[in-house]
Amino acid sequence: MTLVEASDALHARVRAFAEGKASDDFEALALAIARFQAEHSPRFAALVKSRNARLESVDAVPAVPTDAFRVTRVAVHPPERDRVRFMTSGTTRARAAHGVHPLRTTETYETVALIAGARALLAERGPRVVVSLAPVPDQPPSSSLGFMMELFQARWDGRALDGGPFVTRDTARFLVGPSGVDVAGLERAAGVARERDEPLLVLATAFALVGLVDALGERRLAAPPSTTVMVTGGFKGRSREVEKNTLRRDVALAFGIPESHVVAEYGMTELSSQLYEGTLPGADLRGEPDVLFEPPWLRVVPVDPGTLEPVADGAIGIARIVDLANVDSAVAVQTEDLVRRRDDGIELIGRRPGAIARGCSLALEALLQ
Amino acid sequence: MNAARERVERLLEAARRIQDPATDLGHRARSALLGSTRLSAEGIELGLAECLETEPTDDDLAALFASVRPAARTHVLLSGNVFVAAHRAIAIALAASERVVVRASRREPHFARLLAEAAPGLFELVTELEPARGDALWAYGGAETLEALRAGLPHGVELFAQGPGFGVAVLEASFISVENARALALDIVRFDQRGCLSPGSAIVVGDADDALAFGRLLASELESLGREIPLGPLEPEELAAVRRHRDTMAYARTELWASPGYVATGSSNELNPAPGGRALEIVATTDPVALLLPRVSEITALGMAVGESLARALDQALPGARKSALGRMQRPPLDGPADRR
Repeated sequence: MTLVEASDALHARVRAFAEGKASDDFEALALAIARFQAEHSPRFAALVKSRNARLESVDAVPAVPTDAFRVTRVAVHPPERDRVRFMTSGTTRARAAHGVHPLRTTETYETVALIAGARALLAERGPRVVVSLAPVPDQPPSSSLGFMMELFQARWDGRALDGGPFVTRDTARFLVGPSGVDVAGLERAAGVARERDEPLLVLATAFALVGLVDALGERRLAAPPSTTVMVTGGFKGRSREVEKNTLRRDVALAFGIPESHVVAEYGMTELSSQLYEGTLPGADLRGEPDVLFEPPWLRVVPVDPGTLEPVADGAIGIARIVDLANVDSAVAVQTEDLVRRRDDGIELIGRRPGAIARGCSLALEALLQ
Repeated sequence: MNAARERVERLLEAARRIQDPATDLGHRARSALLGSTRLSAEGIELGLAECLETEPTDDDLAALFASVRPAARTHVLLSGNVFVAAHRAIAIALAASERVVVRASRREPHFARLLAEAAPGLFELVTELEPARGDALWAYGGAETLEALRAGLPHGVELFAQGPGFGVAVLEASFISVENARALALDIVRFDQRGCLSPGSAIVVGDADDALAFGRLLASELESLGREIPLGPLEPEELAAVRRHRDTMAYARTELWASPGYVATGSSNELNPAPGGRALEIVATTDPVALLLPRVSEITALGMAVGESLARALDQALPGARKSALGRMQRPPLDGPADRR
């Protein structure tokens, strides 16, 4: 079997697993992907060897540090087969330090993003107006977040705001420009949702929402009461920081919606899957605020930063993430995000001290500076 | 002899007594430092014997005095990473002021205390610094510490901030030798790479095979030195940074085991310096200046085994970095601040 055939077969298994169409086992699938990556990536094979790891259990699969995506190419396939290259927005204090996550196919990414997103962000069936508080994505897409936002716009809305056919990279939907958040554009989108009697779904970075709240001041948006706001990214020790529950309250006030309609998402360029809070009433995913839930095809294990061994249940560790959708890159990724297990999910505590500031919100900050 | 020179000479005499294992102070120093420096006993001895500058030349001292501006009072906030750095920091302050106030590192307070004991009245040890208008403050520490200090400083205090950085070794392929590997290994072993002059990266001007060849020699020398001078304990944060760097290097480069540390070699267009743990990244390139320039503000020291032409180019490209031969990166003469950026 060629690399592409083997990869395609694994992608198909992952999609079937995510769609609930196959009785595949998480552990077996993770190990199959890890062995595939060790066979086709000399770099991953070197890491396996360095750690004296035996790919016989998920816990034994060496996690590739997110730094590796910045230092070298993390992919089993050659560059000429890249369908997209998602780039991190990380920076050190002194210089840009972009990481790259190349994808040979986006089919699995799209499948799992839509399933996970729908479970957390869609409380009712039917059409909705979907806009993003983020810059217009590049073409070809370089931001995984921008790619996901456009995917949600296309699949869950699929029309132009004026009723015409859907267009990509629509400035009427990506409502952040060089001068900041396009408040008037957001008000127009809210007006369209009200006229159509449809929910409004706003996909936003935390930093953009701070900009929105600041721009609005005492004003309130006339948004439909069914409006949902997905918030992603943090502040990572840069620029103005807002405590997440303060931001949740301020955003809810700005849109005139309950705080439960402000749903946090956690994702990163080095992954192909996302985690969500389960606060939105009527959505499939249910849980307390600040608890992020893994989809069935992804597992987070808090580990000790020094030993990389799992910490005690409830203790804080850095997140080791096994993402089955990372078929062609790194099935296990070692982040520097501090997390702890809570209520069948995880709570994001912050970044390990000394870690490089990185994250989606930084792209916007760079744009605005 | 002028007053400033007398003050510095008294400090040098105090340091010599600590350096001497036969003195009571020297004996007590070795015992106390074992608990506070995170170095092995052999590592402490190496630092005292080779890196504590107690015999500066007249030219060195002239440069030391020229590096400071006289001040009525000078405050010194010490860092705990390199214990002998307290000696240089206090010498700089004494060169500038008759009144010197020192706050020792909480992590490693002993060396400054021993100097104060050996030279009573030469400077004042305090638990909190209270600089006032017209004073000078020399502060050594991490970026966040210095940032907080700068923000809270009273108006009119002249701050000399000495922040974090790292050293880089540069070798041309024709200089690859066991001797140079041994010399660089010593630079790595001194203070277990916790100094701002410590090498985190090396550049071999050549191809990946050259880098690998030097990496093998270096790994062998590091292992050998590791048996003579064991690595001290790493703190959890250090362990985490080393673990992460090592896994990244194992994935991205050719990793060579150099117990207790490692050497990673390969070609790259950027430096990823090792965070400690007696590890080094060796990057092969044909254009070392291009590789160094993006990190110029962070590079404090260049250890060089290069020809004259490249030495000149490096000097022009990184004027603020201390240049030395390999093996002397952590042994700057007592001619002013270690960090010249």
